[in-house]
Amino acid sequence: MTDQTMAAGRGPSADSGGVKRIDYAPTALNPKPSRRYYIWMMAPSIILLAGISIYPFIWLIYMSLHTVGEVNQPDVWNDFKNFTRFATDGKFHNGWLLLLQYSAMCMALEVGIGVLLAVILNRSKLEKVLVTLILMPMMMAPIITGLVWLFLYNGAFGWYHWLLQSIGILGPTSVLGDSDIAMFGIVAVDVWQWTPLITLITLAGLKRVPQDQLEANMVDGAGPFRNFVSIALPNIYPFLLIAVLLRFMDNFRFIDAILVLTGGGPADATNILPVYLFDVSFQYFKLGRGAAIALTLLLVTIVLGMVLVKLFEDPRRKIKHTGFD
Amino acid sequence: MVAVNIQSVWKYYGKTVAVKDLNLLCRENSFLAILGPSGCGKSSTLRMLAGLEHISAGDIFFGEQRVNMLPPKDRDIAMVFENYALYPHKTVFENMANPLRLRGVDKAEIDRRVKAAAAMLQIDALLDRKPMQLSGGQKQRTAIGRAIVREPKVFLFDEPIAHLDAKLRAHMRGELKHLQRRLETTTIYVTHDQLEAMSMADNIAVMHEGVLQQFGTPSEIYNHPANEWVAGFVGEPPMNFLNCRLELTSEGVVAVHPACRIRLNDAQRRILEEKQAEPDVKLGIRPDNIAYRAGANSGLDIPATVFVTENLGGDMIVEVTLGDDRLTIKTKIGPIANLDDPCTIAFDVSRIHLFSTTTGVAYF
Repeated sequence: MTDQTMAAGRGPSADSGGVKRIDYAPTALNPKPSRRYYIWMMAPSIILLAGISIYPFIWLIYMSLHTVGEVNQPDVWNDFKNFTRFATDGKFHNGWLLLLQYSAMCMALEVGIGVLLAVILNRSKLEKVLVTLILMPMMMAPIITGLVWLFLYNGAFGWYHWLLQSIGILGPTSVLGDSDIAMFGIVAVDVWQWTPLITLITLAGLKRVPQDQLEANMVDGAGPFRNFVSIALPNIYPFLLIAVLLRFMDNFRFIDAILVLTGGGPADATNILPVYLFDVSFQYFKLGRGAAIALTLLLVTIVLGMVLVKLFEDPRRKIKHTGFD
Repeated sequence: MVAVNIQSVWKYYGKTVAVKDLNLLCRENSFLAILGPSGCGKSSTLRMLAGLEHISAGDIFFGEQRVNMLPPKDRDIAMVFENYALYPHKTVFENMANPLRLRGVDKAEIDRRVKAAAAMLQIDALLDRKPMQLSGGQKQRTAIGRAIVREPKVFLFDEPIAHLDAKLRAHMRGELKHLQRRLETTTIYVTHDQLEAMSMADNIAVMHEGVLQQFGTPSEIYNHPANEWVAGFVGEPPMNFLNCRLELTSEGVVAVHPACRIRLNDAQRRILEEKQAEPDVKLGIRPDNIAYRAGANSGLDIPATVFVTENLGGDMIVEVTLGDDRLTIKTKIGPIANLDDPCTIAFDVSRIHLFSTTTGVAYF
C-alpha cells in the first residue's frame, strides 16, 4: 500500500479483518450489448400471432355484444342480451354441469390410470415397445376415434355392446342410447385416447426422479409405496401439472368425438357446454349468443387454469436462492 | 454396534464382474475404509452392504445375522451418499427427521434427537431451510445428520466429502473421524482419496479391478504395500519404480540398474533368500526416501540430471532423469535448478521395496 493510494482514500478500511477490501465503485459502467436484435427476431411471430388470434378475439367480443345479422343484415347492439339470457337458459346451465362432470371424470381416470401405467412402464424391460403401442390411440384423429367407438358401441353389431351385455353390466339398451349411460360412454372414449398423454408426460417425470433420493429413503426405512409417495410424487408433480392442465383445457374444447358419437344426446345427456356452443353457433346460427357462451367458456378456462397452476405450483420454485454455491 | 463380515462375496452386472471373491471383516465399532480407483468395485460393495444391490454370490453378516435377503429398511443401517441425496422439497429438519418418522418415533422424541444431532453438527440455525439454500458443506452435514439421528448398527459412507472444496474437505475429515469415535458406531467408508482413507480409518481395504489387494492399518498399507499396484496407488507423489536385476557380489546382494547400483542390507538379503526371489525385480522407493543435492559431484552416490522442479512453498518436488527412467523426489526447499542441471541423489536403502516382475507381489 503506497502513500498515494492512502491519500486518495482507497486504502483498506480500519475493520477490514486482515482482508483487503474495496469500498469504492467504478466511475462508469460499460454499455450492455443491445437487445434490439431479439426484438426483430420475435417480431414475425408476434405479428402472426396477433393476426390469427388477437384479431379474431376482438371480433369475438364484438359479436358477443351484438345480435349478429345473417347474410347482408347489419349487426345490432342488444344491451348485453346475449349475456343476460344465460340466467334463464336451461341448456346453458345443464351444459356447464355436464361439462364439469365430464371433465372431472375424464381427469380422475386419466391421471389415475396414466400414472399407474407410467410407473409400470418405467420398470418394464419392454418400455420402448410398450410406449409406442400405448401411444397409438393418441395418434388417431379424434373424429376417427369417434367413428370407431361408434361401431364398437353399436347396438346391433358393436363388440363392446356385446361384451358389456354378456357380462351383465348393460341392460337391453345400447350404451349411447341410454341417457344414464351415454356420459360414461363418451368419458371412456376420452380416457382411451388421452390417457397415453398423461402416461408419456409422467414417464418423462419419472425418469428425472433422482435415484439416490429413492435409495436414501429406502435406507431411511421406507417401503416401495412410501417411497413413491414421498420421493417420486413430489418430483413428478410439475410434470403432472402440465399434463392435467393440457387435458383440462382440451376437455373444454375437444368435441369431435362427442359430435360423432352422440351429438349431445340422448335427451341432452351428453350436451356438454362446448357441444351446446357448437349447436347455437353453427346449427342455429345465433353467432352473437354463441360468442357470448364462448367468452364465458374462455373466461372460466383461464380462471380455472390459473387456480390449477397456483394449486399445484412446484413449491421448490418459490424458494429464494441464498445458498453459497 | 455389530461387526460386519463379508464372506466370499461376488457381484455380477450381467456378465461383467464388479466384485470378485471379497472377504472382509470390519470389527465392532471400528472404522474401515474401502479404497480404490473408480470401477474397482468399492461402491458395489457398499451398495450390497446397504441392500441396494443383490449379492450375486457369498454372504454378508451383521454380527451373527445373515442380511443377504433383508431389504434396506430392515438392515438398521444409515448411509451418506456421494451427492448427499437430500429431499429437496423438505426442510433440513424434515430431512433429518425422515428416518425417525418412517420408524414411527413419537414427535417429542424426533424433535429432541434432530436438535441434538443438529447441535453436534453445528447446523441448528439452518433447520428451517431447504437444501437448495444450503452450501455444499451444510448439505453434507445435513446428510450426516440424517444418518446419526438414529442409532444404526452400521454407518455407510459413499465418498461423502468428494464434492467439497479442498479446504472444507480437510476440515470435514477431522470432524467425521471425531464423530465416529464419539458415536462408536461400526463405519464403512468408501473413497478413492487415499488421504481420506489414511487419515480417518482404523483399517483400509485396498481394492482394484474387483479384487481386494491388501487389508491392513494405514501404516501397514503405506509402509508394507502387498504388491506393486498398492505401492503405486497409495502415497502422494506416487512411489518411483525402477527395473533392476539382482546380483550376488562380494559386497552382498546388489540391485543393478543401468544407471546405478544399490547394495541391499543383510535383512533384505535374508528375505530374498527365504522367498527365493527371481533375479529380475522392480525396485520401488517413495519420493521422500531419496536424498537430493544440486550440482555435479555434490557428494551423494548417484549422478542424475534435473528434469523439472516444482516449488511447493516449504517443500519442492524434483523430477530427475536417471538413465532411461524418471524419479520423483520430495525434499526441503532449496535453490530451484534449471532443466538438465546435474545433481546427485541417494536412496535410503532401508526404505526400498522390491517387487517380483512377474507377479507384482512384494518381497519386502
